[in-house]
Amino acid sequence: MNQRVRITSPQTRLALRRRTDAMRPGGRRAGRPPIASTAIDIDAAERALRRQRRLAVRTVLSLGGALAALLVAADLAAGRLGWAVLFFAPYPVLLALAAVHVRRAERIESDS
Amino acid sequence: MLGLASISLVLAASIVIGVWGVKAARSTPDFLVASRRIVPGWNALAIAGEYVSAASVLGLAGLLVKNGVGAMWYAVGFTAGYVLVAALVAGPMRRSGAYTVPDFAEYRLGSPRIRRMCGLVVLVIMLLYLIPQFKAAGVVLELVSGIPYWIGVVGAGLVVASTIAVGGMRSATYVQAFHYLLKLAFIAGPALFLIILAGPERRHAAIHPAEVDADWMRPMLDLGDSGHPVLATVSVLLATTLGAMGLPHVVMRFHTVAGARAARRVAVSVIVLLSAFYLFPVVYGLLGRVVAPSPSETDVIPVLVPGAIAPGAVGAVLTALVAAGAFAAFLSTSSGLLLALAGGLSHDLFGGSLQRLRLGVAVGTGLAVALALPSEEVDINVLVGWAFAVAASTFCPLLALGIWWRGLTATGATVGLLIGAGSSTGAALTSVFIDIEPGAVAILLAQPALWTVPLAFAAMILASRPSSVPEWASEAVLRLHLPGRYSAEPPRPRKPLDAPGEAQAPLPRSGLGPTEGRGDGGDAIR
Repeated sequence: MNQRVRITSPQTRLALRRRTDAMRPGGRRAGRPPIASTAIDIDAAERALRRQRRLAVRTVLSLGGALAALLVAADLAAGRLGWAVLFFAPYPVLLALAAVHVRRAERIESDS
Repeated sequence: MLGLASISLVLAASIVIGVWGVKAARSTPDFLVASRRIVPGWNALAIAGEYVSAASVLGLAGLLVKNGVGAMWYAVGFTAGYVLVAALVAGPMRRSGAYTVPDFAEYRLGSPRIRRMCGLVVLVIMLLYLIPQFKAAGVVLELVSGIPYWIGVVGAGLVVASTIAVGGMRSATYVQAFHYLLKLAFIAGPALFLIILAGPERRHAAIHPAEVDADWMRPMLDLGDSGHPVLATVSVLLATTLGAMGLPHVVMRFHTVAGARAARRVAVSVIVLLSAFYLFPVVYGLLGRVVAPSPSETDVIPVLVPGAIAPGAVGAVLTALVAAGAFAAFLSTSSGLLLALAGGLSHDLFGGSLQRLRLGVAVGTGLAVALALPSEEVDINVLVGWAFAVAASTFCPLLALGIWWRGLTATGATVGLLIGAGSSTGAALTSVFIDIEPGAVAILLAQPALWTVPLAFAAMILASRPSSVPEWASEAVLRLHLPGRYSAEPPRPRKPLDAPGEAQAPLPRSGLGPTEGRGDGGDAIR
């Protein structure tokens, strides 16, 4: 009667069990897919990946370009305004880059 | 004493909010990621609150006074990292459903060994990051109350460890959101006051530093007068930008939002919050150069500036506010870091129960405090810079390639992680223990990201053999980029479960928060 019973939601129990299964040495399915077993549309997925990747590469390159430009601009303005360039200029640029990326990424997702 | 009182108030408020936030941390998912029930707005605030650390509040202004306006590049890099987080990591990472970076590595590469390796890397990064936080707590407490440095550090460790061990991540989210607002108010408010109080003369001197030497004015980070300022700046920028993308405690935060879209948007909001914040440390730096040009400890510049500008009661109040803000920065960052550290210790390395997680918090705090004690002389930003450099040379390539390139294999990732972690920590340690004459080599050792990041990327790519990638791994990558309707199906348990009802248990949809319009909340994993 005095036995303690642990009360958790079924989800929590599932999560915990998966956790411990995965953590037990040797209990891990070597080389088995740790993913959901539902089928996906491979062709559509390939297209989505490729479009997202192109977008990601473009954003990374733009970021690199923007930072390089900022470096040059700050150095050219050194002296009077160098600090002001670094104080004001970077953040709107960074925000714009991220916001544009997210908008485009979401558009790709709603297309695919 | 006012300073100590305000710090105590911050502490008390944090504990109250923490306790209020504890809806009881019962299971590991509860403890680590607050069962994914955290609303995006809170999440962005919490990420910013956790991220704006002592390095930003104190170290940035200190470095500005010491090295020149080039120190602002740290702030630029810290923020630019979130462009990469939004573009490369947040969405796919959230879809993977993994809790931590090691979890993700196992999901993507299917190897428990790599998970343990990642767990080790998490430990290294988090410790490097924690040491300067405790240093900051120590020097601020020493300044405002005269408590010896070591007592301050040990006391700070006790406080953080106990709040975390009681509350876990859910409470941390609210506490950290609160800390962001607190930091903004207590750093920005006094800054505005001080700009007014400084008077026209000092204001002019602060923003026209042309009269000072040209080296200080050059917006480049010349470390230790090496004569290669551009090289040093680029390396720091690379480390901070790419490092932010690979910081385990930041990546972990994105698992607490509702879905991939929300995760990306949270990253964008974080940029807004950081941009707003980073203006103010610069104010302290510029004013500090005028009113407190050569203090013995540059890392406390923001706390010194109010007293120097406005002696008397006003100055004392402003000092107390800034000290409280700095302490909030320490508190929030270190609790986030400790959670990730404890997660690494228990969850990834030893397989964890909640008990072990709490033990992990205690062990992590002990290590960080022990290492912070001899680090009083090291600049906060130098230590934080190393944490970023290690993250940039390990998890940045792991996540970037793991998410976007199907060819990455467990072997490639292992080799890349070993080389990246080895070279970046090795370089940093070399620069500490061996005296090298200033020059390009010294920079490349003290700020190694410029060569260790490409090296790690190259190692991962070359050691992977894309032709041998199994089909499930390739599918795992595809799923990371698919909106919900493909990947959000309830995962089927692999083993029959003892209670028949459980197998039909629906995905915890109701727990996923209201934000994701298109049901993009699914986990591809488990």
